[in-house]
Amino acid sequence: MTTTTHHPGAIESPERRHFFGWLTGGALAVYAASTAALSFLFLRPRVTYGPPTRVPIGKPEAFASGNQVVFPEAKLVVRRQDSRFAAISTVCTHLGCIVNPSDTGFDCPCHGSTYDDRGQVTGGPAPRGLAWYRIVQLPNGELVVDKHDVVEADTFLELRA
Amino acid sequence: MSIHQVVAPANQDDSSLRALPQRVYRALFRSPAIPRTELDRSQSVSANFFFHIHSAKVQERTLKFRTTMGLGLLSLFTFAILVVTGVLLMFYYVPAPEQAYQRMLDLRGAVVFGGFLRALHRWSAHAMVALVLLHLCRVFLTGAHKAPREFNWVIGVFLLLITLFLSFTGYLLPWDQLAYWAITVGTSIASYAPVVGQQIRFMLLGDDAVGREALLRFYVLHVAVLPGLLTTLVGVHFWRIRKDGGLARPRLPPPEVFVPGTKPVAQSPDAPAHDRFPLKPGKTYGLMCLVPARSPNTETEQEKTVQSWPAALSRELLLFLLLLAALCLVAIYFHAPLEEPANPLHPPNPAKAPWYFLGLQEMVSYSAFWGGIGIPGLLVLLALVAPFLERKKGGEGVWMDHSRAAANWTFLILMGVLGFLTLIGSVFRGENWALMVPW
Repeated sequence: MTTTTHHPGAIESPERRHFFGWLTGGALAVYAASTAALSFLFLRPRVTYGPPTRVPIGKPEAFASGNQVVFPEAKLVVRRQDSRFAAISTVCTHLGCIVNPSDTGFDCPCHGSTYDDRGQVTGGPAPRGLAWYRIVQLPNGELVVDKHDVVEADTFLELRA
Repeated sequence: MSIHQVVAPANQDDSSLRALPQRVYRALFRSPAIPRTELDRSQSVSANFFFHIHSAKVQERTLKFRTTMGLGLLSLFTFAILVVTGVLLMFYYVPAPEQAYQRMLDLRGAVVFGGFLRALHRWSAHAMVALVLLHLCRVFLTGAHKAPREFNWVIGVFLLLITLFLSFTGYLLPWDQLAYWAITVGTSIASYAPVVGQQIRFMLLGDDAVGREALLRFYVLHVAVLPGLLTTLVGVHFWRIRKDGGLARPRLPPPEVFVPGTKPVAQSPDAPAHDRFPLKPGKTYGLMCLVPARSPNTETEQEKTVQSWPAALSRELLLFLLLLAALCLVAIYFHAPLEEPANPLHPPNPAKAPWYFLGLQEMVSYSAFWGGIGIPGLLVLLALVAPFLERKKGGEGVWMDHSRAAANWTFLILMGVLGFLTLIGSVFRGENWALMVPW
């Protein structure tokens, strides 16, 4: 780049101009980037208003052994086998539809994914099995499902009689 | 009527009260209401804010139906209808889960013309998606995306994506079963994007599942963010048409050229059109002849042009009125669909997205990543780079030109596959998304 100005007293320094040009551009870029980052933080909610993820499901006595109880609002089923309890999600791992319990396990109405009795995929596009959630027992005896705590399939809460 | 009636003659007493109406008119409009001379007609286009999107004269072939089939303008008109009906609907709508569905019922039962306006909005939205898609086909099949119009094509691809996203965000607002589950499925598709997928879904919904936050976010996107973005890009899109030399048209044989300061030399046919200047110009050129820069893509021979007023504007008015009449008829005879209120506990069986996403949903039923992200992403990428890949000149402004057979057929086959998948998804999929025969 050549400078063609010849004002008296003007400093002919293309490097200086270059430097300030880059400095201005860089400052504007930093400003734009930080504004974008702050907007992102603003738009990312810190508090959500959806249903709670810790779901009280009642006392163990309410469940009959060998049975499966559907909790539609919490989108899960609770099973009891003798003194063992487990909670399985009814949210299809494919695209989030609610699966229906069937004779063979669970069927998804949206894209035809099928799961066996343990929630493992037996057909359709689902990429993985239904989630199993941890169940804990409160001191007062009530059972609570923690939907943020996904455990491996066949993880049961064993209650002592 | 002549220009003298616009610029008042000196001897007229302009300050008299009798001249007031004329002065007010002249303050508002710079040209007579019914222009009769060529100059007035040029002025009524170039001096009018809304009309000056046109040049004073347009190519005769631009106005022929087969050149564009009016698809781009029809898309714009549909958008205008959507803005007007949408703003009217906003007066009665509340973006909250407890109220949204009830408001739909109220529109139908308690608001004068409420049901009609909702139906007009809904069907216009479908029409806009269809028209924008058809416009894309027209542009590609006439080679109008090629140099120097590559960038305008890229803008067009983004306009299509925004149109789809507008439609998608509008889908949730009635808060019925279709709305709830189409958005549940759609945002779950987004979560399959590598690395950032879950984040995108969370940001879109404002929560882990579709709910209060999602409805509010989709509402804001639908009524403010996306229409604003679309309007801006539509402005650039139209501006670029003129800056790129008007609609694509077949090339004339290369003329002898005159480059200022040199002897006339024979021009190779490969030279870009904007580098060619005629030896004996059929029309005069301005400064652009003298400066060594990219200038508008002017033709090298006398163009067959007609005046935009009234040739182009009257056709556009007719097109708009026909479109409005057709959409109104549809809206009168067919209610906007409304299903049961949203029930987050029971998806309908089968849960289907709107028709233009059913090809996507069909692919998603095989693999969520490839169907929802991988293949659509590659298709959009292919669309964005298509004008840069197709570098050989020729075939501009000609339907299905032989020199572009490979490109055209690739395009048609891809569109055919998408159409086929859409057909399968919409008609041949029943309960549990199982294949079925509809008759």
